[in-house]
Amino acid sequence: MFIKNTWYVACAMTELDALGSKPLGRTICNEKMVFFKGPEGRVAAVEDFCPHRGAPLSLGNVCNGKLVCGYHGLEMGCEGKTVHMPGQRVRGFPAVKSYAVVERYGFVWVWPGDQALADEAQMPVFEFFDNPAWAYGGGLYHVQADYRLMVDNLMDLTHETYVHATSIGQPEIDETPCTTTVEGDKVILQRHMEGIQAPPFWQMAMSANGLDPQAKVDRWQICRFSPPSHIMIDVGVALAGKGGFDAAPEHKAYSVVVDFITPESETSHWYHWGMARQFKPEDTALTDKIRAGQGGIFGEDMEMLQLQQKNITAWPDRKLLMLNIDSGGVQSRRIIDRLLAEENKPGVTA
Amino acid sequence: MNTTDLTQSPLTDDGSFEVQLEKSGQILRVTKDQSILKVLQDAGHDVPFSCSEGICGTCLTKVVAGTPDHWDMFLTPEEQEANDQMLICCSRSQTARLVLDL
Repeated sequence: MFIKNTWYVACAMTELDALGSKPLGRTICNEKMVFFKGPEGRVAAVEDFCPHRGAPLSLGNVCNGKLVCGYHGLEMGCEGKTVHMPGQRVRGFPAVKSYAVVERYGFVWVWPGDQALADEAQMPVFEFFDNPAWAYGGGLYHVQADYRLMVDNLMDLTHETYVHATSIGQPEIDETPCTTTVEGDKVILQRHMEGIQAPPFWQMAMSANGLDPQAKVDRWQICRFSPPSHIMIDVGVALAGKGGFDAAPEHKAYSVVVDFITPESETSHWYHWGMARQFKPEDTALTDKIRAGQGGIFGEDMEMLQLQQKNITAWPDRKLLMLNIDSGGVQSRRIIDRLLAEENKPGVTA
Repeated sequence: MNTTDLTQSPLTDDGSFEVQLEKSGQILRVTKDQSILKVLQDAGHDVPFSCSEGICGTCLTKVVAGTPDHWDMFLTPEEQEANDQMLICCSRSQTARLVLDL
């Protein structure tokens, strides 16, 4: 079960653009959807099911803002109504579901639940997108694991020491206790390490930002979960003793790790990862370098999560431990469970 | 001798009506829970059909006499008002007898 009356990232606009005249088929919260650019280039999403013979419309083509089925040429409109089919009268064709979409921050966002409740005002707000003071680069991984395992992963960064030993991991992460706070629907987990050597990724960022990469630093990780499954992580290093997270910009290299986690099925999800940074925002070569580095680092999580999922699937009755380092994930799952219960209250249509 | 023209008469109380096949003169009764298509098939007539729910138009049949009761989504409202053709899979009759061009 998934929170469905909410906005999820479906895809990056660049992903849709790269397909040209092909539509994008994607399952989100167990709903098979197809995304395409309708009239005037506006993105639409309908069920990936041709009302004629059940073919996936995502195997078709987009022609003049209409989605043409790749089987017999049925033309699907943005509202899920067939608009034309060669040799047929389409008035009586049953409609398929259509989904509310919003194009924002370079992504297509979709509301998989009750379409009558779709509300653009509920879109999350981020200061770092569409903002010349910031640069953003990111990518997408399809992960064969419950999306909540990714939430757990990102709300407990002690794994960095082991999974990412060669890039962002360092023993001080395990040695420094973290604090978890809950504010309404948000969970904040933070860890501040003082007077340490920066790990390789941050040495690179320090160099890029004109700082001595060998200098001692104060390092921080502030993970912020918000429903349904967005996690923004303030990460960075400042020259030791300059105030850490609150240090003046010239003393630090820092960024926001952006994680939009979109469930596909009970055991798979779409992981839109990225990094927004305020240092050298105009340096596109640096953006590419960071994207490549982050892509490599986050790829290391995939193997772990996918095999973790296999273990859990093989042993569904085994209870897992929730340690002090897991409190961020535990609190995030508690919020997910509460919102799920609210959405599925008897008498409330989901 | 009964001179009543059933193609001009209202339906009987049980909701059934007759279908007369123009070419053979055969008369078939269509009860309330049957479709014209089903009655024709049960009587051994091989008529074109596909969706069976008034969408595709495959079973479109000319009406010679009587007034159909249109239930389909294929014909336009204007075509339905003309009452000279019908989809026999789902549409019915407003008169005690329909004469079809079959």
